[in-house]
Amino acid sequence: MTPSSSLDELIEALRCLPGVGPKSAQRMAYHLLQRDRRGADRLARGLDAALKLLHHCARCNNFTEAEICERCLSSRRDASQLCIVEMPIDAISMEQTHAYNGLYYVLMGRLSPLDGIGPKELAFERLFARATDGVVKEVILATNFTNEGEATAHYLSELLHERGLKVSRIARGLPVGGELEFSDAATVAQALRERRDFV
Amino acid sequence: MSKRVDGQAAYVLHLHPYSETSLVVDVFTRDHGRVPLLARGARRPRSAMRGMLMSFQPLELGWFGGGEVKTLARAEWLGGMPLLGGRCLLLGYYLNELLLKMLPREDAHSALFDAYASALRALAAGGADAPELRRFEKTLLKELGYGLTLDVDMDSGQPVVAEGEYTYLIERGPVARRVGDGDTAVVCGQTLLDMAADDYANPRTRVESRHLMRQLIAHHLGGKPLQSRRVFMELQEL
Repeated sequence: MTPSSSLDELIEALRCLPGVGPKSAQRMAYHLLQRDRRGADRLARGLDAALKLLHHCARCNNFTEAEICERCLSSRRDASQLCIVEMPIDAISMEQTHAYNGLYYVLMGRLSPLDGIGPKELAFERLFARATDGVVKEVILATNFTNEGEATAHYLSELLHERGLKVSRIARGLPVGGELEFSDAATVAQALRERRDFV
Repeated sequence: MSKRVDGQAAYVLHLHPYSETSLVVDVFTRDHGRVPLLARGARRPRSAMRGMLMSFQPLELGWFGGGEVKTLARAEWLGGMPLLGGRCLLLGYYLNELLLKMLPREDAHSALFDAYASALRALAAGGADAPELRRFEKTLLKELGYGLTLDVDMDSGQPVVAEGEYTYLIERGPVARRVGDGDTAVVCGQTLLDMAADDYANPRTRVESRHLMRQLIAHHLGGKPLQSRRVFMELQEL
């Protein structure tokens, strides 16, 4: 076996990115080396620093450089509400609503039995420890409305309820400004099944 | 050779992200068995297929292509079935994993497809799930060519009697239990007769048939572990 050159090594390394195959990895490597060496340098330093400095917040499990992230330490946040989301990007979406002032817990995934992702992989025990700190009163489940997200919400609701917490799930239905005519049948069917009393 | 198929009743078994915006969807169809389909652009925010390609929901699909992975051309949501919730979702994943691990690709099994659809409907309706799961497992083994002998003692050739105790020999069938036989795969005659008749009303039948099926399926999986069962057990233990 011939020893792989640093070029081969770089191409192979780039393939770890989602959606990047051998061809794209090759293109990226040549671009970085030939056309954008400064960008490559920044990328290398950025990756190096992020790997060294970032870790999971001891309270919300999101990425942070401190032991506990800024949001978890903020005194303006309502610490009695804990919103559980799958990924950091979901917490960002929730923040953009300006409708929520509680705290978060980021699972960093969802139950996915066919991919072998269960409660151990998602560290459910850590979440239980966080949610039963005595300050949290209500847990809001904001996992996605996919089968995996629903399975996650179901088991978390049972397990957190057993631990004495009030558990709620974000509602599902038509989007704001949504028109029945242009909505997909699955959404309308579920909105109908989950209809609520109006008066 | 490019072939076009349309109007196929199908269920999604599993999804894998593919490239930036697409999905590879493993589907189970009525007339073409298990087929991997490439759903181009299905992960784009405004894709019409985005919400539709979901497991456990009846769909009608059309595809084309001659390679191993075909290209999904059309998907229609048939509906009429509530989304699975809670524990039933995990049981649904178990069914899907059995199909993914045991069924070869492009091998049509319409009887198995109907058994799968009927098991999902029963899970969605939230009734007793044990009979549906056992019936599905039995059909799966039969369709794969491992049909079970349940009502004849394979040593003596005599019919199985309800009061008897039997040892179930894998790939053979039940034989009268002898002193010194281990405790593995011991079933009473009543269980075997109930299984043959698809009657799971008796609690003892439910327990023994579950154990027997687990051993048979583990054998035919050839040591491949079932992830969905592991996750299910871990959740029960919490």
